[in-house]
Amino acid sequence: MSFLARTVRRLMIALARSVGSKVVNAETGEVIGRAFVIPWRGRIAVIGLDAEVKPVFLPQTRMTYWKQDIGFVLHAPPNFPHEARPQRHPHPPAR
Amino acid sequence: MKPVLNVILTHQPASAVAAMLAWWKKCVPPESILLACGGTRADFEAIPHAAKVFIDDPRLRTREHQREQQSYGSVFREVAAWRGTPDYAHIHFAEYDHLPLVEDLNQRQLALLAEEHADVLGFHLRRVDATNCVHYLAHAAEPAFEDFWRKVTCRADPGVVLSMIATGSFWTRAAFEAVAATPEPHPMYVEIFPPTLAHHLGYRLRDYGPQTRFVRHLGDRLSEIETACQSGAWTLHPVKSRWG
Repeated sequence: MSFLARTVRRLMIALARSVGSKVVNAETGEVIGRAFVIPWRGRIAVIGLDAEVKPVFLPQTRMTYWKQDIGFVLHAPPNFPHEARPQRHPHPPAR
Repeated sequence: MKPVLNVILTHQPASAVAAMLAWWKKCVPPESILLACGGTRADFEAIPHAAKVFIDDPRLRTREHQREQQSYGSVFREVAAWRGTPDYAHIHFAEYDHLPLVEDLNQRQLALLAEEHADVLGFHLRRVDATNCVHYLAHAAEPAFEDFWRKVTCRADPGVVLSMIATGSFWTRAAFEAVAATPEPHPMYVEIFPPTLAHHLGYRLRDYGPQTRFVRHLGDRLSEIETACQSGAWTLHPVKSRWG
């Protein structure tokens, strides 16, 4: 990537993180960061967000057929229990 | 109690490794250190430390680590196959630029592992499936990625993908050897494959918690050593220029 392209990308990211749309944790209301969120060719591009988020359709208290919202949530920190693996016995019992 | 094996991954020349070992010996028993050397064969031969293994693997020697899917698979396999003394029950894996800062480092790690009832401790451990994590998205584009977890998992949800910084991870020997014994079906990045595989093999992973702030990906924190010590750090990463 050329120097010019790198500089333009850095500027774009800095701009997105300073004046982009607020990205809010839909579960807690906490501000996660800022980014440009742009619909593009049937997708939504998220530019400049400095956090790992999961997009989800948000639950609705009032059922509306004309509008649904996509929001962002964070995974909970990993806290899975130890799980014993089923033993693969080399000689299974005869039936 | 069986001791901890402290594995240090380095690619540096013998003089730098000597300086690194002198520092490490203040924090862990000298006989517990195993060097995993990914540099040149000549550098490896010149290192005056008996417990060492040479890692000859292009998947380790990547330049653009993320896009080339750098792997520590060969490091894990060589360490698991190493049969020197001592006979150990846990493995602490650190990169050369990860500085230990306390004299009882292994005891603290063992205490945290016990407190968390965990099999693996990692820095910046997080769940990344279905997120915008770039490493996850790059893997998700490969159909075999999801298939692999479905085949190996003993968990109810095969879709869970975890990520952690590879350096500083602390393992029970069983968890480490189980991961070492499972080859990557296709190239997977070092921050994704070991933690996700350990999870799907049934092992419990936990983050280092407050210690995580002393470990980050980029930079050189040489000037922060004193501050980190005063702030209660057990280790500091990355400190790249300490050994020359």
